[in-house]
Amino acid sequence: MKFQIIKNKLLGLIIPLILYVAWDFLTSREIIPPELLPAPKVIFDTWWDLQSSGELALNMKMSLLRVGFGFLLGAISGFLLGTAMGLWKPVELYLNPLFNFFRQIPVVAWIPFLILWLGIDEWFKIVFISFGAFIPMALKTLEGIKGVPASYLEVVRVFEYGWFRVLRTVIVPSALPSISTGLRLCLSEAWMLVIGAELVAAGEGIGNVMVIARRLFQTDVVLVGVIVIAITGFAMDKVLGLLETRFLGLHRSQNAQ
Amino acid sequence: MSIAAKITIFIREKYHGFISFLVLFLIWSGVCHYKLISPDFLPTPATVGTAFVKVVSSGILGKSLGGSLIRIAEGFMIGTTLGFLLGAVMGVSRTLERLFAPLINALRQVPIIGWIPLIIIWCGIAETSKVTFIAIGAFFPILINTFEGIRSVSHSYVEVAQVFEYSRVKLLRKIVIPGALPSIVSGIRLSMGTSWLLVVWAEINTRSAYGIGDLLSSSREEHNPGLIIVCILVIGFVAFLINELFGHLEARLNTWKKSYR
Amino acid sequence: MERLGTLEVKNLNKKYRSQNDDLLVLDDINLTVQPGEFISIIGSSGCGKTTFLRLVVGLEKGYEGEILLDGQRLNGPSLKRGVVFQDHRLLPWLSIEKNVGMGLKNPKSGESRKTIQEHLELVGLKGFEKHYPHQLSGGMSQRAAIARALVNRPEILLLDEPLGALDALTRMYMHQELERIWMKEDITMIMITHDVDEAIVLSDKIVVMSSRPGTIKKIIPVPLARPRDRAGYDFANIKEEVLAEFQLHTDHPFTYSI
Repeated sequence: MKFQIIKNKLLGLIIPLILYVAWDFLTSREIIPPELLPAPKVIFDTWWDLQSSGELALNMKMSLLRVGFGFLLGAISGFLLGTAMGLWKPVELYLNPLFNFFRQIPVVAWIPFLILWLGIDEWFKIVFISFGAFIPMALKTLEGIKGVPASYLEVVRVFEYGWFRVLRTVIVPSALPSISTGLRLCLSEAWMLVIGAELVAAGEGIGNVMVIARRLFQTDVVLVGVIVIAITGFAMDKVLGLLETRFLGLHRSQNAQ
Repeated sequence: MSIAAKITIFIREKYHGFISFLVLFLIWSGVCHYKLISPDFLPTPATVGTAFVKVVSSGILGKSLGGSLIRIAEGFMIGTTLGFLLGAVMGVSRTLERLFAPLINALRQVPIIGWIPLIIIWCGIAETSKVTFIAIGAFFPILINTFEGIRSVSHSYVEVAQVFEYSRVKLLRKIVIPGALPSIVSGIRLSMGTSWLLVVWAEINTRSAYGIGDLLSSSREEHNPGLIIVCILVIGFVAFLINELFGHLEARLNTWKKSYR
Repeated sequence: MERLGTLEVKNLNKKYRSQNDDLLVLDDINLTVQPGEFISIIGSSGCGKTTFLRLVVGLEKGYEGEILLDGQRLNGPSLKRGVVFQDHRLLPWLSIEKNVGMGLKNPKSGESRKTIQEHLELVGLKGFEKHYPHQLSGGMSQRAAIARALVNRPEILLLDEPLGALDALTRMYMHQELERIWMKEDITMIMITHDVDEAIVLSDKIVVMSSRPGTIKKIIPVPLARPRDRAGYDFANIKEEVLAEFQLHTDHPFTYSI
């Protein structure tokens, strides 16, 4: 059994390995010009240089700060709107059509409008990111609260619970998995949008490092950027996922049918 | 039911939304009327209207949409075809799944916009890079949905096919593909939606003659707030249309899915 | 011509391989089913009756001993053996008509259409050709599944707790229907069940199995005239005889589980 599992894992390494060998071979003999694709070793060296000079850390810090602020702003306001619409019928009736209208608009379309209002500095980026985080959060919170099974609500109605007790014992626990999904969605959206914002508007940040490197044809730096943003995005999602299983493990398994 | 009665019911159930939009519109008009916000930042409804008429009558909007749609069509076709094929073979064969899954999962971690600088280096700033970018974006949703759709086809149905001595091809054609279809269609919807926003991203990063993203960029460069709002509404409307169109298709396929466990 | 549909099982053993040791699921099963007979297999959960049926269908592979249909060794699933599963397993994306036609080589031909029509009539689903499985009740779905299994004119029909998921009244009604179909089609049927009454109402012989490992404990013939009277004296006697088999197995006479 063990042997089988190891064999299966090894199978997945075959294609990356072939690609790596081909990459190394083609670049070391300069069959592919280094401006298009530098050798694996060059990429590693570039990464090391960027890392030891502190350039990478500085720019990552900027990007992560933006994501942090934008994410918080968007997630909190999204959560509040979703909760308000989920708990109070009139709010849902009046605001949901508006929300549905605005959420159809891809966030990218807001760029000129936001730049017009906020310039191209920090506020533009943070608000832009929060726009992207706001939509999935509001949507998932609303879905979570609306998705509370009517049968549970009937049970507590029989017991004549007050509204706060209903909220605490039924609504919050059964809406949490959906809300937590919303958090993960809006974090990965925020991470993608910070790169997008930095590509469009100058300033420090990992996206901007990639734009400048692209203009100077420093393909190695661009590739380091791609790898770093992929790993960071993956790590952020993993951390949220771990927190989710840590705190919501039980709910998750109950709701997953 | 008469049409008048239908309209009455519709209004009675949906009037809240109309009121909200009306209030929003009145606030907008009021703010503009009393010049609370400079028209340089917030265009009046009339300005937006004129900008819309102008951009439609000059044919620029049509050309821009046309340019973007052609890019989408090319990128989407390439991306979904490759994604569907790879998803299908990975769904059918466990060996191929084990072979490709780690690579696909690694590539999937890159936020799609992060590919833009690399693609520009590799493909230049002309059409090829935009189409490639859209293709990458369309590739992943369809791949994952096809794969998961095929894996979700219940083994009980495969056994029924075995009892009736179905060949492998017939098994695929009659059981596996129809069973996976709803998931595949929702993959197509996701891919199409992604393509639409990626074409905008691609066009604002690498300019071209006509494209909705180019219109968006030029609206900012010309400091034309009316046109900015028109672009926002048009982009939103097309996204809405795509979602509706494929949503209907999905809903039709889902009539039988209710009973499908 | 000799009638087809004789099933012979000789010294059948079936093992499941687990990490450490082999688990014997079926131990030395011997059974002969004559053409046109209705046999019920009854036993507690985990006695291997479903494994036995799946072996006869051909969905399970790897066994010792012999399973012969009309003297020929079985090799994988075949159209000669129809099967009705407990969950009806109708394909949700096909209409009832198309579901029933699943096993036909050329379901669009005029002859096939006629066969499908006949079988829908046989199970009492005329008029539901264009419906989809989710529009049918549990009993109707199971009838459609029976029609689908019969449409190839198999020599033998295997039923794996076909009525297990139905409510008690529908089930009693389906007993009549199943008996009528069996008589009309004149086909060998082997049915797995949990329900002693069901077995007595329908079968010529009842095979009682015991568990761990699954063995045939007794074969009880049911020589009652059809249609059978559930309240009759003979019926009660046979029921007692069947139930006795389960009581004997345990030390506590009233805690048997079926």
